Amino acid sequence: MPRPPIDLLQGTLDLLILKTLTWGPGHGYAVARWIEQLTGSTLQIGEGSLYPALHRLEERGWVKSEWELSEHNRRAKFYTLTAKGRQQLRTEQAAWTQFVAAVGKVLDATSLPA
Amino acid sequence: MADRERATWRRHFRLLGRADLRADVDDELAHHLDLHARDLAQRGYSAAAARDEAARRFGDASAIRAECLEIDDRVRRRTSRKETLMTLMHDLRLTARALRRSRGFTSVAVACLAIGVAVTATIFGAANSLLVRPLPYRDADRLVAIYGALPARDARGINISFWDYQSWRQENRTFADIGIWSWSTITVSSDKDAERVQSALVSANLFSVLGVAPILGRHFTPAEERAGADRVILLSYGLWQRRYGGERDIIGKTIRVNALPYTVIGVMPPDFKFPEIGEAWRPLPVESPNDADRGNRFYAGAIGRLKDGVTLQSAKADLERIMRNLEATYPNDYRGWSADPITLRDDVVGVMRRLIFVFLGAVGMVLLIICANVANLMLARGAERRREIGIRVALGAGRGRVVRHVLLESVIIAAAGGMLGTLLVPWGLRLFLALYPGEVPFYFRFGLDGTVIAFILLISLLSGFLLGLVPALRAANVDVGSALKEGSRGQAGGRQGSRLRDGLVVAELALSVMLLVGATLLIRSYRVLTDTHLGFDEKGLLAVRVSLPSAEFPEFDRRRVYWESAYQRLSTLPGVEVVGSAEGIPFSGWNVQSQMSIDGRPAVKGHELDVHYQNVSPDYFRAIGAPIVRGRGLTTADRDSGVYVGVANEELVRREFAGQDPIGKRIRWGDDPNSTWPWITIVGVVRDFRHWRLPAPMQPAIYLSQLARPSTSQTIVLRTKLANPRTLEPAVRAALRDLNNDAPAYQVQTFEQVVSISLWRQRMQGQVLGVFAVMAMLLAAIGIYGVISYAVAQRTREMGVRMALGAKRSQVAMLVLRQGTRLAFIGVGIGITGALLLRGTVAQLLYGIAPTDPLTFVAVPLSLAVVAILASVLPAQRATRVDPVVAMKAD
Repeated sequence: MPRPPIDLLQGTLDLLILKTLTWGPGHGYAVARWIEQLTGSTLQIGEGSLYPALHRLEERGWVKSEWELSEHNRRAKFYTLTAKGRQQLRTEQAAWTQFVAAVGKVLDATSLPA
Repeated sequence: MADRERATWRRHFRLLGRADLRADVDDELAHHLDLHARDLAQRGYSAAAARDEAARRFGDASAIRAECLEIDDRVRRRTSRKETLMTLMHDLRLTARALRRSRGFTSVAVACLAIGVAVTATIFGAANSLLVRPLPYRDADRLVAIYGALPARDARGINISFWDYQSWRQENRTFADIGIWSWSTITVSSDKDAERVQSALVSANLFSVLGVAPILGRHFTPAEERAGADRVILLSYGLWQRRYGGERDIIGKTIRVNALPYTVIGVMPPDFKFPEIGEAWRPLPVESPNDADRGNRFYAGAIGRLKDGVTLQSAKADLERIMRNLEATYPNDYRGWSADPITLRDDVVGVMRRLIFVFLGAVGMVLLIICANVANLMLARGAERRREIGIRVALGAGRGRVVRHVLLESVIIAAAGGMLGTLLVPWGLRLFLALYPGEVPFYFRFGLDGTVIAFILLISLLSGFLLGLVPALRAANVDVGSALKEGSRGQAGGRQGSRLRDGLVVAELALSVMLLVGATLLIRSYRVLTDTHLGFDEKGLLAVRVSLPSAEFPEFDRRRVYWESAYQRLSTLPGVEVVGSAEGIPFSGWNVQSQMSIDGRPAVKGHELDVHYQNVSPDYFRAIGAPIVRGRGLTTADRDSGVYVGVANEELVRREFAGQDPIGKRIRWGDDPNSTWPWITIVGVVRDFRHWRLPAPMQPAIYLSQLARPSTSQTIVLRTKLANPRTLEPAVRAALRDLNNDAPAYQVQTFEQVVSISLWRQRMQGQVLGVFAVMAMLLAAIGIYGVISYAVAQRTREMGVRMALGAKRSQVAMLVLRQGTRLAFIGVGIGITGALLLRGTVAQLLYGIAPTDPLTFVAVPLSLAVVAILASVLPAQRATRVDPVVAMKAD
């Protein structure tokens, strides 16, 4: 049974998309499946919201797109991570790690600091 | 799928429209839903359930679709803007390179336009300073100059009396305040030297009315206007710097003015002068109320500031009401008199307004001719480039791109011409100002300002488009096939092109005829003026003005002693033959006249006799070369005879004593039979000579003896055999300084200078328009030369064939000449019509010549036609030198 989905922050979704694309180009549906597999279905989102995110990432020049034939011999729009996108991913990943560490410290704390 | 292929193709060229974007988004989203549904079906969902589940997990598809579209559309717009800019830059580089390649064409075109822009902007700059830039007073557009007027006799701008001013100031409802002023040139002296200074008497409030405050000290107070008040004076900044070294402690110091001590109370700001070039001011004394003075109109004028929202019209009506009230009380002094208020701007600009518009029209025509010439060049160039353009169109360049390319070329040329022309404008303005013979009044500030720059930008851009429009449209219509074929035959241009070029040349010729006719009329009018018989001999005459300080010379006797010794001293100077003097010499602007009446002849309303009168010395007529034709002249003995005698001019005799002997007749001021004015007995008649100015008609005059009732100011006239009368100047100045240090010589001029200055406007308008007209004619000649040469070059092959078939050289030449002649006659014909239509604009600037002067209207077009035909002789000769063999083998 799927658990109730956690709302994804916009920036988090961008981060996840960029990360999945580091393994190679993919179309929107593939990105959706990768995220689902990697997160073990815990982060269920309205899958459609991937698309505005992808288009926005393309607008910023972090990914680029190309229409190609997919594995099912169908025309599909494939997204590729750009150098600029890779750089952006590094920056955001560092920020995210820091954020998680900070939140973790607070949650792990046993008593109020003196 | 044809559609899809096309979209791909278009996408490749980044030509996506909104519809393409929509199709892409739909495809992408559908792809997702299809794949998901298939995966779900494999996991055991039924087909319908799989689609439903995929859609459910997808979310709000239409919102997502809209969001994607919005992003993509934004991207598309941004990209296309960038691309437009990039193609524009690319085209600019391309065009600039093309222009650099044809350096000859570019430099000729740019130089022509630079000249056109320079002359147009110069005249516009002058118009801007004269007519647009605010005068340097507070809210200057509310300032009004008020003079007297006699509407029934069509006389305006007449002096006013102190009591006119008082009544206007106290009884008006339309002015915030009114001040009065009058000319009063003064002598400022020290122990070392003396200087005549242009100056004015002003009411205490006048400078407040103008809105100008002293930078040092204060204005006059009303108490200082009263008779018998302390003698005080305000100085201009320039006079303060020049004579008093700009010392701040000048305030309160005493200086010597007209041989009397005056206390300096203030210094006005730099650049301020009043009126026009006046540099010192004293309070105009309030007159005691005396009914007899009401009609004494000898003050220059009043200046008022309109209340907010009041128009000149209502102010005029208001003043008229006051004048009619005055007439009811003082009928003798006000019958027929009105007040004549005009805006200060109109007062200072005067007749220049019309002139400047005529000039603007003229330079506009010159600019049009230049544009036509350059457009012709561009058309010819366009024809040569037809092949290149054809190739580019064949290779897929859009027509829009081709049009833009040609337009860019003309805009670049116009911009370069405009910039170069701008550099010439200050120089042009200096040249224009140099034509003015006197000191340019301070309130006209000439120079480049925002308005002029904006104007230059506008005309540069306009002429750029004008130049490029026709060639650009023709480039857009290039038929690829024929352009490539024709080009190979060396026949580029075709019929349509040659007709356009012919049309431009015809327009140039027509405009030149109009300009030349206008200029010739003005120049001929000036010739009429200078050929006017003046009645005196202006060669070999030096004029020197002298004013005695009335404080030192209150009575006639002392003045008489001074003048007699002055004549005597000056006549002993080497080179001097005759010494005379007059209150005002001809063409100096000095012109006093009064209504007079003849003894025994009651005045007739509507036939008033206005007579010019002045004191002259006995030798004046001999000095200026005007002979006595009847009776005798004035003599030194006249001062003692007890009878007040005068010499009339022929005009007065013609008007009043036709068929009678004027000698012994008596005349006096005014037409009141009970007047106490003395009778003047006419003892002689002097031959008419012009006094006031040309083209004013001859006026009746009576000359009185300076020795009988000597005035304080006279212009001494010295006749000399010296080639340059001005060489007398140092000796004359020294002699007069010896006589009296407080009466320095000033306005030292030769008579020829005086006459020439009085005609400067007529001369200047002819000169300026003449320059434009000659420019126009040369440009038109160059234009016709260019067109015919081009036609000859294009038809070389045809000429060759003709000659090979036996045509004589002269026949070929005639063929070319005939084309030039045809253009010349069409252009000249249109020009004559245009000049006739425009005759009204110059009519007011003409004198002694009709605006349809037949000689001008025949000679000018004829000579222009000859010039035009001559311009096609050279190309015609070239045509005869065509070698048939070479011509036919070419290409």
